[in-house]
Amino acid sequence: MTVFKSPGSGSKFVLPRRSLLKGGAALGMSTALGAPFINRLFAAEEHPLAGQSIEMNILGIAGWVPSSLGVKMSPLFADFVKEKYGYNVSFAFAEAPFSDLFQKAATSLATKSQEYNIIISDSQWLGALAKPGWILKLNDVIEKNPALQLEWYSQTVVDTYMTYPDGTKDIWGLPQEGDVEALYVRKDWLEDPKEKEAFQAKYGKPLPQTFEDFDALTMDEFEKIAEFFTRPDDQRWGFAQQYSRVYDFATCAFNNFLWSRGGEIWDPATGQIEGILNTQQNADSLQAFKDWLKYCPPGATNYGIAEGIDVFTQGKVFSTIQWAAVGSAMITEELKGKVLVVPPPKHGTGDAAKRICSMGGQPWVINAFNDEKKMRVAIDFMNWWYQPDTAVEFAKRGGNPCDKATLSRDDFNDINPWNQTYKFMLEEGRSRDFWHDPKYSEMLAIQQEGYSSFVTGQSSDPKAVLDYIACAQQQILSDEGVAKTAPSDACATTSL
Amino acid sequence: MARLRSRLYYAGLWLISLVFFAPIAWIVLASFKTRSDILAVPPKLFFTPTLENYVDLFQRQSLFLQLGNSILLSLGAVVIAVFVSFLAAFCFSRFKPKGTDFLMFLLLSIRMLPGPAVILPVFLMYAAFGWKDSHLWLMLFYAMFSIPFSVWILKGFLDGVSTRFDETGIVNGGSWFHVIFKVVLPQVRPGLIAAFIFNLIFVWNEFLFNFIIGGVTTQNIPYALAVGTYADGGVNWTFISAMTSVYIILPITFIYIFQKYLLVGMTFGTVRGEV
Amino acid sequence: MSAIPSRPPLARLFDDRRTMVLTLLAPVMLFFIVFNTIPTLWLLGLSFYNFSLTSGMPPEFIGARNFVQIFNSRNGIWLDLSRTFTFVVCGVGIQTVLGAALGFLFWGSRDMPGRRIALTMLFAPMVLTPVATGTFFRFIYDPTFGVLNAISNGLFGTGPIDFLGNPSIAFWAVLAVDCWMWTPFMTLMTLAALGSVPKAELEAAEIDRVPFLRRLSLVIWHHGKFILMLGILLRTIDSFKTLDLIIPMTKGGPGQQTRLVAMEVNKQAFESFNMGWSSAYSVLLLLISIAMTSVFIYVLHLRRRREG
Repeated sequence: MTVFKSPGSGSKFVLPRRSLLKGGAALGMSTALGAPFINRLFAAEEHPLAGQSIEMNILGIAGWVPSSLGVKMSPLFADFVKEKYGYNVSFAFAEAPFSDLFQKAATSLATKSQEYNIIISDSQWLGALAKPGWILKLNDVIEKNPALQLEWYSQTVVDTYMTYPDGTKDIWGLPQEGDVEALYVRKDWLEDPKEKEAFQAKYGKPLPQTFEDFDALTMDEFEKIAEFFTRPDDQRWGFAQQYSRVYDFATCAFNNFLWSRGGEIWDPATGQIEGILNTQQNADSLQAFKDWLKYCPPGATNYGIAEGIDVFTQGKVFSTIQWAAVGSAMITEELKGKVLVVPPPKHGTGDAAKRICSMGGQPWVINAFNDEKKMRVAIDFMNWWYQPDTAVEFAKRGGNPCDKATLSRDDFNDINPWNQTYKFMLEEGRSRDFWHDPKYSEMLAIQQEGYSSFVTGQSSDPKAVLDYIACAQQQILSDEGVAKTAPSDACATTSL
Repeated sequence: MARLRSRLYYAGLWLISLVFFAPIAWIVLASFKTRSDILAVPPKLFFTPTLENYVDLFQRQSLFLQLGNSILLSLGAVVIAVFVSFLAAFCFSRFKPKGTDFLMFLLLSIRMLPGPAVILPVFLMYAAFGWKDSHLWLMLFYAMFSIPFSVWILKGFLDGVSTRFDETGIVNGGSWFHVIFKVVLPQVRPGLIAAFIFNLIFVWNEFLFNFIIGGVTTQNIPYALAVGTYADGGVNWTFISAMTSVYIILPITFIYIFQKYLLVGMTFGTVRGEV
Repeated sequence: MSAIPSRPPLARLFDDRRTMVLTLLAPVMLFFIVFNTIPTLWLLGLSFYNFSLTSGMPPEFIGARNFVQIFNSRNGIWLDLSRTFTFVVCGVGIQTVLGAALGFLFWGSRDMPGRRIALTMLFAPMVLTPVATGTFFRFIYDPTFGVLNAISNGLFGTGPIDFLGNPSIAFWAVLAVDCWMWTPFMTLMTLAALGSVPKAELEAAEIDRVPFLRRLSLVIWHHGKFILMLGILLRTIDSFKTLDLIIPMTKGGPGQQTRLVAMEVNKQAFESFNMGWSSAYSVLLLLISIAMTSVFIYVLHLRRRREG
């Protein structure tokens, strides 16, 4: 309340009528605003939005359980804020399929629109959304909100869902759904006495039965099992994984091989790809990746997530490497109790054997153009999402939270059949995401084309395919300025 | 002998029709199967049908909105397009202004660019003017796509209507308005209907522009199909088979009802060919 | 004879030919300018810039560099174009020949019982949403679950055939679906063309016992030419843009076998958001399309409907 001093007026205690009125109004309003608080002083907190109604829009991924869970749980948030802060929030949702979601988000954000206030993004889009400044940088937000200063289960979580550029401390997203690669196997086939006998007789070893057995299993040993269960005449095969050219399917499945065998896809510090991706070691891995087709049903070269679910739920394959996020779709009513979810086998032999698999999952990102009110609600939403109760509820409904506290609970492993494997693969060094660079989509498209070309037999030399991919990606990164060196001269002759 | 021949002839034609229709029949059949039945190997021809898919379909949120939008947007767009095209075609046919050929060609060029090429400039324009998510402006956009084919086909029909009719009409004291709408238009009714149905089919299945420049209030069924194809990570076979089966009912009904207009060609004046 | 009634002044206004032309053409031109010209000019302009939507940086003028890049491109533009041409030529060719043949077959079947239903069934493939068609045919072609494999394996004992995964046959498998969808369209056009033939002339030709082929070229072709050519033209233009059908089926795979030009535009414009590059590419495609169409129209004198 300002006191207006008219120049040359004598007394300083005469308040002009206008500011008196203004002051009176302000006082009256604060009383009115304060009224709800007076009632809830002990249950609620003061909040700038109290008494208002806000509408929020979430953009999610169509047909993807964890995303729809996030959306379905929003009424709980509405209840929560009504109780605690005294304002009303209503949600509207928009969805787009995985392959179109980025387009929808990008076209909207490019016009600085507030059409979508909170977005469920795929982990690799982080750079593409952050670089143009479309999403909110969260470092300050996290600092100001203790509820968001969680201890995450591992550094992998931070690297995958939160950080861009790789290796820095800038945070742009908060984990919505953690996702790792898991091996789903038919427990009932494994426990069948006839199978056990036959396997023992044929290979002189027992069939693995438990989580620990599979933890110790290597790919060579696993190959025997896959071969054992490959019976085309009975319409059964031992294995299935993703080979499809669409989206990131072949890449995620192949990276399991590539990383587990000690290869790398790039050097984040220098942006160098050539010489790192197209090594002979990786070429051998690519060949091995293709060789596993013999244990997969015909048509596996077109398999993505959906087909993997179809063949497994229809009992056509003994095992599938598949994302933990679709666990509820993989384990249907008919298959309850018949499925064991374990870590994918290790590559290599002896003590050097290891497994490093692809990381999936989605972070929440916040629209940078939200107005003050919506921004406030978005932050409240995040605070609520990471509360222990919410996280457990999310897990109970089939989702995968990422914070250490929830995952360390005694009962966590029992909530879903894949939770034990999920935790296992989430630990340091076991899972990785590929580049978050804004040009990820071009780089991804090239390598998807290359890998698909190789596994379908269109190209026959794995090293040549990798050369082509590495050169093209090097070109993209060097044009962008991320890579320090341009592609070498050898690149002129590469092709698929 | 002749009867046997014609019987065989007709049987052959029916066989061809059935072969073309078979995949659609498969989809409709699938809409009555449970998911396991759809995925059964070997594919099941005989099974216990279920109405569950349709029950689920009609309980879907927004279904009626999307259906309504599809109908509204398609019918509206095509009606506008045919009307506007008729006027232009009349002009080209009767007055033959300079540059007719060029303009006709220009109109054809509208269809030449693939959707993804123009989507961004159109989107930016729509965002700038605030036309996003508006029934009217989406309809107008669809109308534009329907104009080329309509103009060409209507001009063809109009060229076949003798100008003597126009002259008679004017000599008898009618205005141009009267001539256009009361004299000539009824004669090209088959052309109007043909243009209407062809364009309806094209607009009915439009997805991209509805997805990007349309929004929540204008969502249509192809959008619903795209969004609903995957559920929980797997393909939602029951949904897409039921949805597709429902969605083709309208165009197929139109084709059935108005078939004779589609098959009547362009003719000279009074002598009409029969098909 | 009664006096010619005088007409209200407003109507007399329209006697002026010029005004008439303008009024009739105005709506169409308005549509054209707003929804077509503006975006096309924008596209043309942007093709000279380097503009990536996701880089956050403003567009940068680079002259014709986009076009140079396209021609030198390692992305196999020429391969894509040749693949697309093969697709269009074979596709439209098959659809026309098969469609016309079916058209003739159905033409003489006026008395067939249930003809209307049979024809409706024949025309049904055109009305399916391409996304649904693609998804379902993907299923139909699948070696494990699909109907086609069940038939080929069950009846003919071939092994599992991976229609969409086998690089040598994927392209043709996709083309087959396109033909399935659009042959009925050409049949429809043929029937309409045949319907354009005046009955009197046909009967005269029959009475004169003109041989069928001659009848075909003299009478039928002469009258039916326009609408049939229009159908082929439309199909060619649309076929060049094929996109919606391929994406759910193979998305350009296996490898690059089914990658067509429109898909590259889609990828660049929509997935990578390289607006400058994709605009340049679109401009090129537009020019090619215009060239194709002009040649077509010129050769077949479509512009003028010959009298008599």
